[in-house]
Amino acid sequence: MKKQWALVLFLLMTASSLVLAGGKSEAAEEDLSKQVLIVGSVDSVTTWDPSASYSTEIAYFTNLYEGLIRAAAPGSDQPFEPLLATAWEASPDGLEWTFTLRRGVTFHDGTAFNAQAVKYSYERTMELGLGAAFILDPIESITVVDDYTVLFKLSYAAPLDRIAASAYGSWIFSPAVKDKGREWFEEGNAAGTGPYKLESYKPDQEIVLVRNENYWGPKDTPAVQRVLVRIVKDAVTMQNMLEAGQADIVTLIPKESLSSVDDRDDCKVLTGPSFMNYAIHLNTQKPPLDNVLVRRAISYAIPYDDVITVSLGDLGTKAVSPIPFGQFGCATDLPQYTTDLAKARDLMKQAGFAGGIDRTLVFTFAAENAAHQAYAPLIKESLEKIGIPVEVRPILWTAQWEMMKGDPLQAQDLGALLWWPTFNDPYETLASLWRTEKKPFFNFAYYSNPRYDDLIDRAYATPDEDEALKLYRAAQEILVQEAPSVYLFDLTTAVPMRENIQGFVINPAYPKAMYFYGVKKN
Amino acid sequence: MIRYLRFITKRLILLLFVLFGLSLMTFLLARVVPSDPAATYLGPRPQPEQVERIRAQMGLDRPLPVQYALYLRDLLSGDFGTSLSTHQPVLASIREYLPASLELMITAMAIALAVGLFLGTLSARHENTLIDHTGRFIAITGVSLPAFWLGLLLQILFFRVLGILPLGGRIDTMVSLIHPVKTITGFLCLDSLLTGNWTAFRSALLHLILPACTLAAYSIGIVTRMTRSSLLEVAQEEFVTAARAEGFSERRIAGKYMLKNALGPTFTSAGLAFASMLTGTFYIEAIFYWPGLGSYTANAILSIDYPVIMGVTLLGAVFYVVVNLLVDILISFIDPRIRI
Amino acid sequence: MGSRVSAFKRFLHFFLKNPLTLFGIVLVFLFLVIALAAPVLAPYPDQGRGESLMTARLQAPSAEHLLGTDALGRDILSRILFGSRVSLKAALTVILIVIAVGTPLGIIAGYVGGVVDDVIMRISDLFLAFPSLLLAVAIVAALGPNLTNAMIALSVPWWPWYTRITRSQTLSLKERQFVDAARSVGVPAPKIMFRHILPNCITPVIVQATLDMGYIILALAGLSFLGLGSQPPTADWGVMISEGRSFILTHWWISTFPGVAILFSVLGFNLVGDGIAEVMNPKRRR
Repeated sequence: MKKQWALVLFLLMTASSLVLAGGKSEAAEEDLSKQVLIVGSVDSVTTWDPSASYSTEIAYFTNLYEGLIRAAAPGSDQPFEPLLATAWEASPDGLEWTFTLRRGVTFHDGTAFNAQAVKYSYERTMELGLGAAFILDPIESITVVDDYTVLFKLSYAAPLDRIAASAYGSWIFSPAVKDKGREWFEEGNAAGTGPYKLESYKPDQEIVLVRNENYWGPKDTPAVQRVLVRIVKDAVTMQNMLEAGQADIVTLIPKESLSSVDDRDDCKVLTGPSFMNYAIHLNTQKPPLDNVLVRRAISYAIPYDDVITVSLGDLGTKAVSPIPFGQFGCATDLPQYTTDLAKARDLMKQAGFAGGIDRTLVFTFAAENAAHQAYAPLIKESLEKIGIPVEVRPILWTAQWEMMKGDPLQAQDLGALLWWPTFNDPYETLASLWRTEKKPFFNFAYYSNPRYDDLIDRAYATPDEDEALKLYRAAQEILVQEAPSVYLFDLTTAVPMRENIQGFVINPAYPKAMYFYGVKKN
Repeated sequence: MIRYLRFITKRLILLLFVLFGLSLMTFLLARVVPSDPAATYLGPRPQPEQVERIRAQMGLDRPLPVQYALYLRDLLSGDFGTSLSTHQPVLASIREYLPASLELMITAMAIALAVGLFLGTLSARHENTLIDHTGRFIAITGVSLPAFWLGLLLQILFFRVLGILPLGGRIDTMVSLIHPVKTITGFLCLDSLLTGNWTAFRSALLHLILPACTLAAYSIGIVTRMTRSSLLEVAQEEFVTAARAEGFSERRIAGKYMLKNALGPTFTSAGLAFASMLTGTFYIEAIFYWPGLGSYTANAILSIDYPVIMGVTLLGAVFYVVVNLLVDILISFIDPRIRI
Repeated sequence: MGSRVSAFKRFLHFFLKNPLTLFGIVLVFLFLVIALAAPVLAPYPDQGRGESLMTARLQAPSAEHLLGTDALGRDILSRILFGSRVSLKAALTVILIVIAVGTPLGIIAGYVGGVVDDVIMRISDLFLAFPSLLLAVAIVAALGPNLTNAMIALSVPWWPWYTRITRSQTLSLKERQFVDAARSVGVPAPKIMFRHILPNCITPVIVQATLDMGYIILALAGLSFLGLGSQPPTADWGVMISEGRSFILTHWWISTFPGVAILFSVLGFNLVGDGIAEVMNPKRRR
């Protein structure tokens, strides 16, 4: 017996000495680490098909694919930047758009980029009808004028420049994928023109991007040779990866730790606006929330500052409009609701509910969203202060959506939603969330107002921007006055990274997108 | 031999029943859920007409019994379907994630057996003394600890305070870049050892320690308790008394006669614990960011990704029944008194 | 009188020999007292029920808040005290469900025998072979995450244990004289099963229930931790640990103390269960 134990002990010691003695080739490591960017990201890839992409894979797509044009990052005096198109113009009625294409560009697979490729890409996306293909609905036909000129004809006036700059549905890819089918993409392949190529992919674990040596941009760009993305679903883990130098950029750390990470000498946190906002939609079809006075009372009862503090810390700002702040069309001079319990109680009295409401209202939200989870108790508490009993009912998003899409009279009373626009245009937000729907789909306030519908429809079809903005502003004012929803807060994007990382740009038009093109490691 | 065959056949028939029942149950659950697989398949904001089209494509508009029959047909031909959220085939993904979980489980079980057998023997030999009480207390604490909480505490202690062990993951990112491990078995430690990749082995082993210890806590408790109680039971049996009368030394009695006979029940419960580990690694994999089956399933649950949930559930059941079967056979070899 | 004294002596002797069991009983007793008297014991009962105090967020343990405060400024001690009620209520409900389902089935299987016995036992084998946690998770995912569904989900794979226990108990009782007597005077079978056999099954069932309490508390906390059980603002220990998870490196107390509460209550039941097992094991009774 004793001998065996001694043997075990010996083996253990040998093993551990081997383990602890592990050597390092420091020079090689140093050299390699300059060329490799390690990113910790929460974002999974739901599809690699550029026609179908409409989710979190946007984080990586901007490196692999390019659209005709791109929405400029904040600070630019132009709304758009040329990308695969160098010039573009619309006819005065907004029905015909001509794009002049960049020359000398090749796709990752070696195919040459030209007007035919543009036509093929758009048509494939429209034909598949997946993801964000609906934004291409106005397109009636695409004509190849010559190798480097393409003409879009629309069936109704629409802002095709904003559509072409969309983060979803407007990517240009190699026509050679025709023979490969969708499975080819899902195996982890890409055929874009972007500065990086997709080297390997392990679902929900790892993505490796490698520099596209034939990129059309200036020589020696992009600077970083390889990008290794580790998909990590946990904020605490990511914070530690960053602090230990195991990651150069991470997408998420606990909000409580942002300032302490920023204070470190070897880390910094980059912040910028995002086009994402949080709102609670009130069931306007079901008493008592069919009463606009009750809805306004609720809007006055919410402790906005506390809600922001617990859910996002410094990363949230109170919403000024139903549309995310900074987005095209967001009106910044609308009347605002503040936290004012006296006013809220007064409104309840006017509505005839001085003694409170005798029914418990159901408040649902996506259970997997930590921000909703954090502020939900505050909503319950504040509404109970004005006599509205609330039951908090978190459900997984897919299940919540099914419930919301059902009969409004059976559905939730209050439903919280995180929203972001598909492309930088207010129409989609205003129409999806509040335009009259025969069958509920995303209008979770079940709001219906013909005057409002008319305003936004007219705005979308107005080619003159100033005129359109006026109409959009009027529509937003209705939404504030009628209070079908409580506009909680806009999200600020924070990207923690190592101090030596430079050139990372946050562009709110592409929420969650990480663009590695300009990134340098010093 | 015939006895074994009959026993195995009986168990396998039960397994078929279990699988059939389970598939029916998970299938029904999947249809009861207030979620639309077609919508989940399409992503965060599909359009109504897309949903209609995909529903038809996925056969969701057919009558339930037909859907179930089709599901079974696919299952029998080895097709577990495609994940709604990652759009990857379920079986391939399981194959991808399983080795990581198994590596963790086997290490944890090895720790549990080593510590548990030691503590259990110690406890039994010093019955009702302070040593025994301490041993039992450790064992019972082991089964009472919430794994998810223990994991967090160990992380704080060994990563944050002492700074000697990594927080999570399977291997250091830089190490995996500079010294990539060639996949042979999918067990990182083993693969790096086989290829003589010492740096990677060191990193993989260090990453394994905390999650394996956390996962082992419960099994340590189980093994210790069973070892102790079966040793004490065996101690009263005649052959032990006889051996004692023959004048064999206590150590020899304990080692040669008692432990061997006490191993049966210990292995049975260790086997059960091992089998349930596969589905019990959720917490640990989540906390230590271990890219195994548990993480895969947890993600699937959050998006109500039914093909994945059903696939893993069925696999878990097969694993559970098969491990139990193996343990029973193993025991009958160790201790021929036990008839199966 | 004499026998009572000796019973007391035996009792005392048992605990002197088994201090762990005594410790377990103390823990269980404390747990029950806390659960019953939480509103009286809690320093901030309203916060225990979920009321926030945003001015007192994330305070470290101090004289005012012995265990600190959480992200909504609630006193963690009060939340833990109130959390014991959630745990106790949920665990008891699960136990009652599994007893209500498992016991009658076991008695029927044992008493009627034959095909009925076979069918019931095969079905229970089926449920036993299910990976219980995974099944629970799947059920919760299907029905929606809340405490009620978590309780249902835990009960589904659990009842067969009680069927097995009562069945074997019934089998041995069936041959006893009083059952024979009842049968011979024409007492109908249901009456025999539930008048004569059921009361005699209660002891083993209660013993098993004590053994299971700890495990159920642990499993429920686990589901809540994953977000599949109780939902905020319920003061549930599992929820509290998960709420504190993102603070673990900056505000350690939020997750740590609820974990201690789970550990001690589960430990209490397990120590008692271990003690019972020690006494009950017939082979070891000298």
